[in-house]
Amino acid sequence: MVFHLDKCIGCHTCSVACKNVWTDRPGAEYMWWNNVETKPGTGYPTHWENQKKFNGGWVRVGEGELKLRAQNRADAFLKLFYNPNQPTLDDYYEPWTYKYEDLFSAPAGDDQPTAVPVSLITGEPMEIKAGPNWDDDLSGSPIYAENDLNLDKLSEEERAQLFEVERLTMFYLPRICNHCANPSCVAACPSGAIYKRGEDGIVLINQDKCRGWRACVAACPYKKIYYNWKTGKSEKCILCYPRLETGQAPSCFHSCVGRIRYLGVLLYDAERLAEAMSVPEAALVESQRSLLLDPNDPAVIAGARANGVSEEFLDAARNSPVWKYVMKWKLALPLHIEYRTMPMLFYVPPLLPVMGRTANQIYHHDHQGFFSGLQEARLPLKYLASLFSAGNTEIVEAAMKKMMAVRYFKRIQEVKDLDPVAVERLMREAGTTPAEAEEIYALTSLPTMYERYVLPPLHREEAIAGTMDPEVCKGCSGFGCHPTPQRGA
Amino acid sequence: MIDAFLLVGLPYLALAVCVIGVIWRWKTQAFSWSSLSSQFLEARQLRWGSTPWHLGILVVLLGHGLAFAFPRVWESLMSHPTLLVIAETVGLGAGAMALAGLVVLAFRRLASGRVQAVTSTMDLVVLALLFFQVLLGVLTALLYRWGASWSTTTVVPYFWSLVLLQPDSSLVADLPPVVKAHLVGAWLILLAVPFSRLVHVLALPLSYLWRAPQIVIWSSPRRAAKMVREQRVQESRREFLKGAAGVAVAGSLLSLGVLEKLARFFQGPKLAGEMETVLLTKRLHRIRMTAEEQALQLERQKSTRILIGRLSELSSSKGKYFIDFNMAPALAFLDANGLPLLISAKCTHLGCTVGSEVNAQGQILCPCHISYFTITTGEPNVGAPAKTPLPHLEWVVVDASGKDLAHRGSSGAIQGSLQGVPPEACSVYVARPTEEAS
Repeated sequence: MVFHLDKCIGCHTCSVACKNVWTDRPGAEYMWWNNVETKPGTGYPTHWENQKKFNGGWVRVGEGELKLRAQNRADAFLKLFYNPNQPTLDDYYEPWTYKYEDLFSAPAGDDQPTAVPVSLITGEPMEIKAGPNWDDDLSGSPIYAENDLNLDKLSEEERAQLFEVERLTMFYLPRICNHCANPSCVAACPSGAIYKRGEDGIVLINQDKCRGWRACVAACPYKKIYYNWKTGKSEKCILCYPRLETGQAPSCFHSCVGRIRYLGVLLYDAERLAEAMSVPEAALVESQRSLLLDPNDPAVIAGARANGVSEEFLDAARNSPVWKYVMKWKLALPLHIEYRTMPMLFYVPPLLPVMGRTANQIYHHDHQGFFSGLQEARLPLKYLASLFSAGNTEIVEAAMKKMMAVRYFKRIQEVKDLDPVAVERLMREAGTTPAEAEEIYALTSLPTMYERYVLPPLHREEAIAGTMDPEVCKGCSGFGCHPTPQRGA
Repeated sequence: MIDAFLLVGLPYLALAVCVIGVIWRWKTQAFSWSSLSSQFLEARQLRWGSTPWHLGILVVLLGHGLAFAFPRVWESLMSHPTLLVIAETVGLGAGAMALAGLVVLAFRRLASGRVQAVTSTMDLVVLALLFFQVLLGVLTALLYRWGASWSTTTVVPYFWSLVLLQPDSSLVADLPPVVKAHLVGAWLILLAVPFSRLVHVLALPLSYLWRAPQIVIWSSPRRAAKMVREQRVQESRREFLKGAAGVAVAGSLLSLGVLEKLARFFQGPKLAGEMETVLLTKRLHRIRMTAEEQALQLERQKSTRILIGRLSELSSSKGKYFIDFNMAPALAFLDANGLPLLISAKCTHLGCTVGSEVNAQGQILCPCHISYFTITTGEPNVGAPAKTPLPHLEWVVVDASGKDLAHRGSSGAIQGSLQGVPPEACSVYVARPTEEAS
C-alpha cells in the first residue's frame, strides 16, 4: 500500500472505519489497527519509535547477520513470565465510555445532568488523561511535538526554527500494519502462531494457536500488534483480508476521504531477503528496491508463473500503482526501514510546507532557484529522512525534487507564469520527463477507485476464508472462529 | 476408607479427567488456550510476582520429577549427606521463592482494579490451590526434614504403584497429615488443569528453539501442497547433499590418517639432530650399565671371594652396601664382637633394597612396605609384609699378608679370631656360598 501524505487531511475516517468493522469488541477497545498521527509528535502508543525501550525489530550484528533486538531463542523463555519490553495499557490509553443513562435517569435538580466517563476495563468512573490521537494537530506542543524522537537528529538551531510559531508545521501519518516482508513479530512468536500468507503477503495471527506469550507485541517495532486483555490473545491489522478476497478494498482504504491510499501487487525476491536487510542503514532503501522485481521482465513473469502466481495477479502487478510509486518513479519510501523488517507500506513524503519561498513576508513562486525552498523547508529534510529513509537525506530529497518538478511542470501548463526553459532544466535536474510528469500527475490527482486499488479477488475455489461472512464474528472476539469464542478460564 | 478415596481413587479420577479434558479442550476450545497474561494491565507488581513464582516452581517440579522418574539414582544420590543437604536447601529456597511470588501475585490480583476485571472464579480457585500446595510443601520441608531422602521409600513407591496399576496406599498411610494433604493437593491441581488457565503449562513453546524464524502459509490447498512438495524435494536434496558431504569429509579425514601412518611406516623414523644425540647418549648409558653389570658378574664367576673393604670401614650402626654372589645387594655391618656381619639387603617380600641405617632396636627398614629386619637374626618384625628372614652371608677376613684370619661358614659358625690384629690391617671378603663352591 502507498500513502500519499500530501493528500492526507488527518480526518481519521480510516481509523473510525477500521474500528467499527474490527475492534469494537471487549478487550479491543484500545486498539487502533489503523491510526493517524500528527508529526512531529509522540505517536500512538506513546514513543513507539523508542526501540531502546521496546526493543522492536532487527539489529545487524557483525558483517550482515540479522538478530532480533528483543530476544534470542533462549531468553525468550524467561520473557514468557514477564516481558520487560511489552508496552502496558498506560503506553496506549485507558479506553472509556460515558454513563449516558444518567442523562435520562438523573432526578430533577437545579443543574443539567452530566454523563461521567467510565473505564471500559474496570467500569469505574475515571479521569481521562490520554486518548489515541491525543497529540492531534499539536504541532508546537512542548509535550508532544517536541518529544518526537525523530527530532534527535536535528541540531539545536534547527529544532528552535521548527518551533518558531510563524513557521510551525505538521503533517499526518496514517499507520497500519506494514505487513513486512521480514517480520520480526513472526520470528519472535514462541508458539509459531503468526504467519505470512503466501498468496498476498498479509501477516496474520492464528487465534487458535496464539498462547498470549506477547513476544510479538514487543518485537514489532511499529507497535502494530495489540494484546487483547480480555481474550488473552494478540491481534493485528488483517488488511481486511475477507474484503480483499472478495474484490473489495480494505475499510480504511475505501473510506479514505483524501483518496491518499493506493493498493497493488509487488513481486519480490524472497530468497535474498535476509541478505538485503542486513546492509548498512543508509543503503537500506536502495537494498529494498533491489529486491522488488519488475513485473514486465519476462524472466520475472516466468519465475512467478512457476511459483504458482496466477495470471490475474501478474496482470495486477503490471498495473500496480504501488510499483509505479515505489520503483518506477521512486517517490514512495518505507517508514523506518532501519528496523530492518522490510515494511511493505510506502509513504510519499509531504511536500506542502516546502513549496514557495518567503521574501518580505510573502510567499513567492519564481524560477530563481526552484529548489531553494527545499533547503529552507519548514520541515527539515533530516527529519523526513529519519522517518522515511533511515537518515539518508539524498533519497528523500530526490523524491521531493521530482514532486516539485511535476508541480512546476503543471504550473507552466495551467498558470503559465514561469519560464518553460527554466522548468525544463529543472525537470532534467529532478530526473523526470514531461511524459512521466503527466503520469505522476494523473495518478496523484485524477485516479479512479480502480486505478488506486488494483488487486484481483481470490479464485473462488481458493478463497476458503472468502466464503465466510466477516460479520458473523462481529461482537465476539477473534475472527473466523465457529462457535463463538470464549475467554479461557 | 477416606484414605482409599483420596490416595487411590482421586489420583486415577484426576488423571482420567485431566487427560480427557485436555484433549477435549485442545480439540474444541483451542481459542481459549492462552497464558491469559495480565501484564498489559499491570506490569510492575507482576514482575516481582510472576518471575520468582515461575522460576521457583520450575526448580521444585524438576526436583520432584527427577525423584519420581529415576528413583534408584535419586536414592543413591541422596545417600550422600552433602548432596542431601544441597537438595534440601535448593528445594526449600525455590519453594520459598515460589511462595513469595505467589503471595505477590495474589495480592496484585485482589488489589488491582484492572486485574480484577479479568479475574475469573477459576483463577481464584487455581490461586488458592497453588498457594496451599506450595505452603504445604514448604511446611513439609521445614517440619519433616530430609524429605528428599525419606520420600524415596514412601511417596516414590506409592507413585510408582499408581503408575503400574497396583495402587498401594499403605506406603503413605502413616505419613503425617501435612504430607498427605500435599499429596491430595497435587491430585486436585491435576484435576483442575483442563478447566483452568493451567493448560498454558502444556503449551510451553519448546519448538521455538529450533523452528525457522519466518513462517509462510499458502491458504489455497493446491498451492500449499505444491509448496510443501517443493520444499520436501529441496529439503531431501539438501539433506542428501549434507549427508554425502559429511561422509566424504569423514572418509577423506580417515584415509588421510591411514595414508599418513603408511607413509611414516615406509619412511622409517626420522629424527632431528638434537633428539638423536639424546637418544644415543641414553643408549650409551644403558650399554655402560650393562657392561658394568656384566663385569661384576664375570668377577663373581671367576673368584671365590670378593673384597668388601677394610674391617675398620665397617660400623654397627650403618651398613656398607656391596653386591653379593647372586648379583643382589647386601649390607656389611660390624657385630658386637667386632667381627663382620654380612646380610642380604634384598627384601624377602618383593625384593626392594633394604635401608642401611640401623635403628635403636638393631633393625634395618625396607622402605617399600615397611618391614623391619633385626640384623643379628635377619628376622622381620611381627606383622611385617615380609615373612621370611634375610639370610646372613659367608665371609672371610684376611690380614695384610694374605692369610685367612677368620671366616664364617655356611652353617653360621665362625672359625678363627682377630685377636691382636688391628682392624685397619684386616680385609673383609664375601665368600662364595660353600654349596656352590663345592
